[in-house]
This record gives sequence, structure tokens and C-alpha cells, in this order.
Amino acid sequence: MRSADYVVKRVLFAVGTVLVAVTLNFVLFRSLSGDAVSALRCRGCSLDFKNYQRKTLGLDKSKWEQYKIYLGDLAQGNMGRSLRTEEPVRSVLWEPIKNTVPMVALGTFFAIVFGVLTGVIAAWRRGTAADKTALWGGLGFYSMPPQWLGLVIVLFIAGWLGLPTSGVKDPTLGILSDPGFIEVFVDRLEHMILPALTLGLVIFGEYTLIVRSAMLETLGEDYILTSRAKGLSNWATVWKHGLRNAMLPIITLVALSLGFIIGGAITVEYVFSYPGIGLLIVEAIDQRDYPVLQAAFLLLTLSVILFNLLADLLYFRLDPRVQE
Amino acid sequence: MSPPLLEVDDLHVWFDLPNGRKLHAVQGVSFAVDAGTRLGMVGESGCGKTTTILALMGLLPPTASVSGRVLLDGVDVLERGEETIAPHRWKDIAMVFQGAMNAFDPVKRIGDQIVEPMELHGHASGAEAASRVSGLLETVGIAPERAKSYPHELSGGMRQRAAIAMALACSPRVLLADEPTTALDVMVQAQVLELLTYLSNELGLALVFVTHDLPIVAQTCTHAAVMYAGRIVEQGPTEALYHETRHPYTRMLWAATPDLDAHEEVLSIPGVPPRLDAELHGCPFAPRCDLAASRCVSERPELRSVGNGHTSACHFSSSVGAAA
Amino acid sequence: MSPVQTGAPHAEEAPSPTRSLRWRAIAAPVLRNKSAMVAVGILAVFVFLAIFSPLIVGDDPKAKVGPVFAPPSKEWPLGTDGGGANMLDLLIAGARISLLIGFCAGAISALIGGTIGIVSGFFGGRTDTALMRLTDYFLVIPDVPLIIVIAALFGRSTWNIIVIIGIIYWTFTARLIRAQTKSVRERVYVQRARALGARNSRLILRHVLPQVTPLLIANTVLLIAYAIFAETFISFLGLGDPTAISWGRLIQNAFTDDAIINEAWWAVIPPGVCVMLVVLACTIIGQTMEDALNPRLRTGHLSVRRFRVLRPSERPTLQPQTPPSQPQPQQPS
Repeated sequence: MRSADYVVKRVLFAVGTVLVAVTLNFVLFRSLSGDAVSALRCRGCSLDFKNYQRKTLGLDKSKWEQYKIYLGDLAQGNMGRSLRTEEPVRSVLWEPIKNTVPMVALGTFFAIVFGVLTGVIAAWRRGTAADKTALWGGLGFYSMPPQWLGLVIVLFIAGWLGLPTSGVKDPTLGILSDPGFIEVFVDRLEHMILPALTLGLVIFGEYTLIVRSAMLETLGEDYILTSRAKGLSNWATVWKHGLRNAMLPIITLVALSLGFIIGGAITVEYVFSYPGIGLLIVEAIDQRDYPVLQAAFLLLTLSVILFNLLADLLYFRLDPRVQE
Repeated sequence: MSPPLLEVDDLHVWFDLPNGRKLHAVQGVSFAVDAGTRLGMVGESGCGKTTTILALMGLLPPTASVSGRVLLDGVDVLERGEETIAPHRWKDIAMVFQGAMNAFDPVKRIGDQIVEPMELHGHASGAEAASRVSGLLETVGIAPERAKSYPHELSGGMRQRAAIAMALACSPRVLLADEPTTALDVMVQAQVLELLTYLSNELGLALVFVTHDLPIVAQTCTHAAVMYAGRIVEQGPTEALYHETRHPYTRMLWAATPDLDAHEEVLSIPGVPPRLDAELHGCPFAPRCDLAASRCVSERPELRSVGNGHTSACHFSSSVGAAA
Repeated sequence: MSPVQTGAPHAEEAPSPTRSLRWRAIAAPVLRNKSAMVAVGILAVFVFLAIFSPLIVGDDPKAKVGPVFAPPSKEWPLGTDGGGANMLDLLIAGARISLLIGFCAGAISALIGGTIGIVSGFFGGRTDTALMRLTDYFLVIPDVPLIIVIAALFGRSTWNIIVIIGIIYWTFTARLIRAQTKSVRERVYVQRARALGARNSRLILRHVLPQVTPLLIANTVLLIAYAIFAETFISFLGLGDPTAISWGRLIQNAFTDDAIINEAWWAVIPPGVCVMLVVLACTIIGQTMEDALNPRLRTGHLSVRRFRVLRPSERPTLQPQTPPSQPQPQQPS
């Protein structure tokens, strides 16, 4: 049995990164920008609220004290209050999360499935027209700013497909009668498709390139030749030996693309007025609602750290050579 | 008289070069191997020995063109290329690759990889295959429990022997070994050589052993073929090549080997082999040969008999001194 | 003829490569590659436009010269935007800021990443571990959100944007350069110079730097592509310099000015196409350079096509021997 040392190490690293992220968050929003979260400069905030902020954030105390208060609050799930609505940030975040997660999941799923398909075919049929198409297609989509692609899709394709281009639900649904679960589901899906498609296409471009390159590297390995020598067909070799080994660098590179996915999600939600975390961030920036921005950023960062950890563990599971 | 187990007749291999020209890598190689005999193919790197044996299994890249015949039990398996060779892979003729360190898929267990060709070719499956694997591992001197190990958990020598076990999975009659002992330390080298000799004697395997190390051939092989610039320049029983060397290149190869008993200098062979992307006139070895005369530059020497089953391609074969 | 053993020549005896050879290592593959040359051409056009844009489009490309969202015509080849300004002028003016941000931010990233990489790789030990730990943490924190947040807090001016992008992307470069530095450090001629008592600074400047620079340049080109891309994110969210025109800004304008409702595709498509072209061009050039420096493109062992079997009559004849001027083509065995 392999020792679990590696797992422990990676978990500790993840925890360490969380600490770094939290601290970075604190430093950015408190120390460097003159207490962006304090409401002191917020014109629309009531005096009561300002006093409340000063007390709960400990603004009259030292930075170190403030940091400890911040950490304590976070541990209890308290992420402060929105400057705009004075509600707890936690409740402000909930709805948008529910909208963003399925949309991003859909888009990324699409990107992975088609990216792997195109990448593998391109590598297998290296040098042929299929390879060139995949390569240039991938490069093309990879170079497109997601917001621009979104606008193009809205301009040319949305009308043709008859899909909605903003919001997450049809405002007329539920007015005349109680909508059934299926109706709601379909409605949500319809609204999710275009943003997910936009996000998915751009990431698909990147993944095609990643998979193709990882596969090309793997197909040059000696055990591929051995497999052919043993009498396995090209197809069987790719499936049994090629893909399984190419998975490893692919996982690493996909984990590195998470930041890009988030960035894409933010701009795509903005274009499609899709009320998710991305749109929330944009609005928070616009309205200078920094506590919300801080919390959303922390949430995103923690998600990425978590996913990286999962990717590390998956790698550990798939590669028997990893041990420490 | 029954035909030899493996017979190669006038084999040529050309490779397409990026600049549009062709590289004539193998230039009319012919040899035959009977059951229970071991042929050593010796030469400098780039002389075409690896390409020759890859051709025997049809493992050449698409940039290659071949002509000639490869007769297995008298039947030409090279006749229609991939179509006629594929059915024989691993079942009749198997290969142990150069640097067998990487011949194994790093993410699969050794046992599974040895079973793979068995199941593929309908040789055995399930429990029967598992017991065959144990038997094979024992034959090559590896504890049967190691079937559950991953390639990286085995030492270099063990991996090489495991590769031999894998090559024997479908009981082939011809075993091709490409530099199986390079990069192994002397003790392990001896073990592997002993093993190969044993397999050939006990199982009647015909062995074609490619190496640049002449002493190994002297130690292990019944016959030897010396290759230079894509051609065989001397061929015959190993004893004969040692005691009655009939080609200057062979003699220089012997002389280049450090001899623990003698106190002579170790000679190196000055110069480099000729380019193979152009037509050669005369003897390819002439520029580096100490016996070279004007005839050697203008007239190419053909392989001629100089003894019992012993051929040499040299105008001055009778003047070549013996190695010992 | 000098005695040469029948094996690989002594690599250790090779002296430190000369300057010209190094530049050729990355320039030659680009010149040979058709796509890369096209990319260079495209990039050159944009650089030209960026440099001379004030001369070409005059003082105020944002000035209203026609009706809002007028379609392309002879007078305005790319129509007008939501403010009635000439799209073509805006596009050319935008090249300046976009490329400026791209090149400067890319250079900053390369500088930081390169320095950290060289220091880490050369000195090793605790410095190395500490720096790499730092890099690892930075790698995990998502780049685009961090850029957005910092821009939201400190942004709004072009130079701030440049610095922000620059300090985020150094991590990829650092790892790459560190690996390269480590391998250079182990080379025999460096060991020899060290044994002769050369100081670290001399070793770095004269031996490590020349070997590492080509890779750094290749990586910088890729970083430029990232930076231009990042700029579009920042501008789209309204975090860029409000007075500056960049392609990212033009895309944002199209969005906020409701170009879509007006079906003014000419306000939407061109800036995105420009970004695409430049990013594509940089990616191709950078990738070509990197591939040339790290040749891991071995022959694949799988192919749909097969080797050919020839009849004796089909045998090719080779040309007669030419004098040995070019290096021997290697047998793929």
C-alpha cells in the first residue's frame, strides 16, 4: 500500500494556501486600500450602519487586532454586511451561487468532453486535415475574449436558436398558473444554455490544445510501440494506454485553467445578465460594495483551491508512481 | 531440408526525409535463423540493425518504404505489409525493446501487461492466464508475486527480464532483442544473457540479438552478422568470425574491445560512417579502412563465401588477420 | 583524421555557445515556419499602426463625426460606434493602448519571473524552496479574479493596469526559467568556470543568462498574448482607464451602448477580431520558439498511414554522394 504521506502533504498545502488567500484578501481590502469595506466613505449608508461597521470590524484597533477579528468572523461564516443593502453578505451570495454553479458546470463539461474528443483525434491523426482543423479551431476559440464571443452569439445565433439572452428565468412564468417542476427546469436550462455555450467554447479551445499536446507526447512513448508490437490495434492502444497516461498532464493543465474559467464566467454572466456570482461581482464593483466583492473573491479563491486539491488527489489515485 | 524458421531475403528500407530525399537505411540485408540458434547483429549506432528488426515485425513508421522478403516458415509475411505481418505479431515473432525500462505502461501492473497479449490473441484468459504469468515470471527469475507490481517498483534488470517474460507470453518461436543489456550493470547483464541462452536452448527459440557490443555476441550467440552502413559486411558462425576474421571492420571492432589479458592499446576506429541519403560507390568502409586500395573506392565488394557458412564483403578478405 | 571513438562525441568539451548561435536558435525556427512568418507579419502591421496611430487618426478619434451606429460605407469603412465616432479610427487608436499594455505587462512578468527563476535555480537550497513555495501559492490563487479585484481597488489608470497584470503572471515564467537554470548550472563548462574561482555574478551573467534568454523571450511572447487578453477582461468590467481607448474598451462600449439592440455588428466584431489576431499571432510565434528550444516532439508510434511495401521494380534510386557540408540526417532508430 502506498503511504498516505502525499495526501497529507497536499491537504496541508491546501490549508496553507487557504491561509495565504485569506490573508491576501484581508490585506487587499483593509490595509492597502484604506479600509474599502468600512462604509466610512459610503454615501448611501446610514449613520447607525457606519457605527455598526466601525464596531464590528474593529476599525479603531490595530491592523493585527482587525485581522484576528476577521479570521474569527470567517470561522463562524460571518462575511460582513453589504454596503448597499446592509444585509449579511452570506445571504447575498446564496442565490447567485445557485445560478452560477450549474451554468459553469454545464459549460466546463461541454468543454471537457469535446476538448478531449478533438484533442485525441487530432493527436492520433497527426498531420492530417482533421488535426489541422482541430489545431486551428482550438487556437481560434482560445484567442477569443469570452465577452466578445458572447456578444457575437447574441447578435447572430441567439435569435436563430430562439433562446433567451438574459436573466435566468422567464418573468412571465408563474404569473398565470403554478409552473410545474419540468417547466421551471426547462426554463432555467434555456436561460443557461447560451452563457454556458459561450464559456464552453472558449475553454474548449484551450482544452483541445492541451489534450492534443499531452496526447502527442504520450504517443511518442515506448510503451505505445510495445502495445502495437503486441498486436493491439491503434484504437485499442489509444484507449487502453494512450489516454490513461495522457490523463495525468491533462489534469494538471486543467487545474491551472480554473482561473481562466472563472474570469470567463464573470464576463459571460455580465454579457447575458445572468444573475450569478460573476454578475454579482460586476455589480459590486460598480456600486463600490466592497464587502460583497471581498467575500465573493474569497469564495472563488477557496473553490479553486479546493478543486486543485481534488485534482492532486485524483492524480495520486491515477499515477502509481506518485509517492512521498 | 525444412526451411529455416526465419529467413530474410534482400531486405531494403528507405525513409522519407523532410528535405524530400530518401535515406537508404537498410541496403539488401539477408540472413536466416533456425530454431535454437542465436544470431547477433553488431554494428555502430545508425548502421541499420534496429531498423532491420523493426521491419521484421512491421513496426516501421509511415515514412518508411520496404522491399524484400521476410519468410516465416517459408511464407513471405512482408508481402502486403501491415496486412500480412499483423497476424504474426507476438504470436510467432516477438520483441524485447531497447531500453525496456520504458517498454512498460507506467500506470498498469506488470502482470496485467503480460496477460494483455494472451487475452488479445485468445491464448489464455482469466485464471489460466494468471498462472501462465506466474510461470513466465519464474522462468525469467522473478518472484511470481511481483506480477502485482508496477513497472517503477522493479529494478532495471528485473524490468528487462519482465519484458522478456512479456515477449514470451504467446509462446513465439522467434524472439528479437534490441540491445537488451545496454544500461544494465555487468552482473545483471550476465543474468539476462544466461537467460536468453537458456530460453533458446530449452524452448528452441530463434533469437536475433542486436547490439553494438561484440564481446556479448561472442559470449552468447551461435552466429553473428556485422552490419555497416546498412549492409551486412561479414556473417557466419561466431567462432569463425573470431578465429578467422575476414573483414577489416570486424577486426577493428574486436580490437576496439578492451582485453583484460593483453596489454595492447585500445584502438578506436577513426572517421565516421558514410551518409545514407546518397548513392554510395565502392566499399562503404573504404575511407576508414587500413587495407583500402583504389579497387575499394571504385568497386563495391559483394558478400562472398570465405568458409563454411561464413561470408564477407571485402576485396581483401583473405588478408584480414584473425582477432585471436 | 583525428581519432574519434565509435560513440557520441565529447559533449562536455563544447565551449559556451556564441551570441549569434543563441539568437539563431529562436529566430531560425520562426523564419522557417510559414504560419509563424504570417503571424510575424500580422504583428508587424499592428505594431506599425500602434506606433503611428496619432499620425494616422489625428487628435481625437473619439470625436463624433457621424450618426450613431451608422453602418459601414465609403466614408466610414467600419461604420460608427455608439457615440458617432469613426470605428476604424477607434480601432487603430485602440491598437496603441492594447499593444502597449500587452508588451509592457509581458515585459514586467518576464522580468520578475525570469529573475526569480534564475535566482531560485542558481542558488538552490533554502532560497529555492522558499521562492518555489511562494510561487506555488500564487499559482493556485486564480489569476483573473485577482486581477479584477486589484484593478477594482487600485485600477483606473493605464500604468496601474500594466503593473497589475505584470505582477500576476510571473509564476509560469519563474518555474520554466528555474528548470532551465538548474540544467545550465549542471553543465560542465559552468562547473569548470566555478572551479576556476569565478564569482556568482559573473557565472550568472556570462553563462546562465545567455542560455536562458531564448527561452525567456519565447515565454515573454506568450505572456504578451495573456496580457492583451487580460486587458480585455479588465476593460470590459469598466476597470480600465476611462480616457484611454483600447480594444477591450471598444468591446465594452459596444455592450454598454446597446450595439446589439441596434444590430450594429460593425461595432462589435472588429475589436474582437483584432484581439484575436494579435493573441493568435503571439501564441503561434511564442509556441514555435518554445517548441524549437524544447524538442519533445518525438515521432509518434501511432499513425493511420502505414509503411509502404515496394516491388523490386519500384525501388528508389538515390542521388550520388554530395560532399559532406550538411550534418548527417539521423536514422530514426
